[in-house]
Amino acid sequence: MSLIETTNLYKTYVVGDVEVHALQGVSVSIERGEFVAVMGPSGSGKSTFMNILGCLDKPTKGKYILDGIDVTATDLSKLAGVRNRKIGFVFQGFNLISRTTAVENVELPMVYNHTPSHLRREKALAALKAVGLEKRAFHMPNQLSGGQQQRVAIARSLVCDAPIIFADEPTGNLDTKMSIEVMDLFTKLNKEMGKTIILITHEPDIAEYAGRLITFRDGQKVSDEVKK
Amino acid sequence: MMDTLFSVFRISVKAIFANKMRSALTSLGIVIGVAAVITMLAVGSGTQQEMTERFSRFGTNVLFLRQPWDLDESISSPKEVTMDDVRAIRRLSGVEAAAPYISSGFTVQYGYTSTSVDVLATDTDIFKTYDWELDSGREFTEKEVSDYAQVAVLGATAAQTIFNDVDAVGKTVIFEDIPFQVIGVMKKNGQGGFGFDMDEGALIPYTTGKVKMNAGWSKSDRRALDRVIIRVKDFNQIEETKEAIANAVRNTHKIHPLKPDDFQIDDFASFVEEAKSAGKTMGILLGVIGAVSLLVGGIGVMNIMLVSVTERTREIGIRMAIGATSADIRLQFLVEAVTLSCIGGLIGVALGIAATLIVAANSTTIPATLNITAIFVSFGFSAATGIFFGYYPAYKASKLTPIDALRYE
Ligand SMILES: Nc1ncnc2c1ncn2[C@@H]1O[C@H](COP(=O)(O)OP(=O)(O)O)[C@@H](O)[C@H]1O
Ligand SMILES: [Mg+2]
Repeated sequence: MSLIETTNLYKTYVVGDVEVHALQGVSVSIERGEFVAVMGPSGSGKSTFMNILGCLDKPTKGKYILDGIDVTATDLSKLAGVRNRKIGFVFQGFNLISRTTAVENVELPMVYNHTPSHLRREKALAALKAVGLEKRAFHMPNQLSGGQQQRVAIARSLVCDAPIIFADEPTGNLDTKMSIEVMDLFTKLNKEMGKTIILITHEPDIAEYAGRLITFRDGQKVSDEVKK
Repeated sequence: MMDTLFSVFRISVKAIFANKMRSALTSLGIVIGVAAVITMLAVGSGTQQEMTERFSRFGTNVLFLRQPWDLDESISSPKEVTMDDVRAIRRLSGVEAAAPYISSGFTVQYGYTSTSVDVLATDTDIFKTYDWELDSGREFTEKEVSDYAQVAVLGATAAQTIFNDVDAVGKTVIFEDIPFQVIGVMKKNGQGGFGFDMDEGALIPYTTGKVKMNAGWSKSDRRALDRVIIRVKDFNQIEETKEAIANAVRNTHKIHPLKPDDFQIDDFASFVEEAKSAGKTMGILLGVIGAVSLLVGGIGVMNIMLVSVTERTREIGIRMAIGATSADIRLQFLVEAVTLSCIGGLIGVALGIAATLIVAANSTTIPATLNITAIFVSFGFSAATGIFFGYYPAYKASKLTPIDALRYE
């Protein structure tokens, strides 16, 4: 059984009297250990798709099975544990909590699964070390460069040993050099730690890092190809 | 669990201190409320304590006879309390002493000094009802009472004011144009009675007062007394003695058996009752003040928490994305509201204690004693305010969906 299995996902937003069909019947299955890039023009439904996969939002219609759990049949508020244990997020805007040190940001997911505080610190420091930021553990987000902040976010996504990482345009706010750093890190996580990575981007260079490319247009999957 | 709670608490403290000014202004209502309640309760319990002390010094086996201030309408010709009553009461077996009591403020003059004193016109039984002690000289005698003698016993403070450190005994002072010889000076004994303060006052024979000093005693019956002070022999017999006194007075007042009394007898207990009900009124007043200021403070907390939830919507989204449940978010904001109001409460407690100590140290007229219960209760209320007014913002935060919270700009 696939790690991620969606069948005919629809998402319709209603804004006033206008209906926006963000997803129109998307069926995808992703196996454990895959590194998938999702591309497509702006507004094609990539983020909508990823938010549903990440259990942050629910589809209007369709079925989504995540690691054997029927997510579509479960209330969003009951999925906090699933997000905590199975999913790590990396966003374009980093989404770190300000006025909170790097290591405390990384510890945060463990606060919500009630890890004892001494273990939290230990694991958070280990995760920061894995992304090469052990020296910046006690810096505030605003004292770090964009690339460093993104690496803190990646450390945070690793710390609960979640098998899946969702990254929505993680290099969107980074310059080329930092983008390469971050992408090398994702590659390492995929190759060495076996993380399943689903990454949204609109830059072909970035998509090159992935082993599979899914393309969206107007809320539909228009191509899905495994490279080499 | 404790670990998680502690983490949540640390996050709260951080959030509160990130907006120091705003937090300070928000908790001000609670600070003021708590401080006010503590200070006022301190003054209240100080007053009550002092009153109780005064009563107990005065003795529990003392009764007062007087005409009620709010006399029953049905009594057509009420009789004043007079010496006839005093004499009738003295004959009762349960009574130790009974003294007439007429008090009035007078100007007293000595040489070029003049001051005002409370003059109590009475007779020798007064020395058996109150436990006043002489400092020098003597009390007046029964003969001086029956001779309308112009003699006076001065209170310690009054003597000090008039004579400085000169011995007052044997000197002559003028009360409203009438010369009186000072025959004795009392020891200082703190406030000793109800409406009459011996330290600041003077005692003269009631006969002299009635006959030679008409001023101030403007009752319809020329023989009327303000009241009679009665000391009973046995406290355990006080109810029976009270009844005997009532019968005796009904007799002298010639009240028809079916008609109500035209007098009342107060005892220690009724004063305590009065003090208690005064305390209750004060308690209600304080409760209202406290409730209003905590309400205002609570609304402030709610307002700022709503602002905080809105400002930190994205943060809520992040927390939800990494695994916070609705309950975690709710707890977070609730703890924050409670922390905020408890900080206000703590500052309020400190301020209240400081204010009480300042009042206690600097004011001789307002007694203030710290009330530990009041401190805990008002602090508890500040915490409860945080829970009550923090709940809605916290609930609102917990109801956000992760994606809506994350997308919030
Ligand atoms: N919360 C929302 N309310 C209304 N419309 C939305 C909302 N989120 C996304 N959309 C619309 O859905 C479509 C897909 O958006 P999105 O998934 O963000 O695209 P992409 O990430 O590929 O740029 C767009 O037309 C967008 O305007
Ligand atoms: Mg997008």
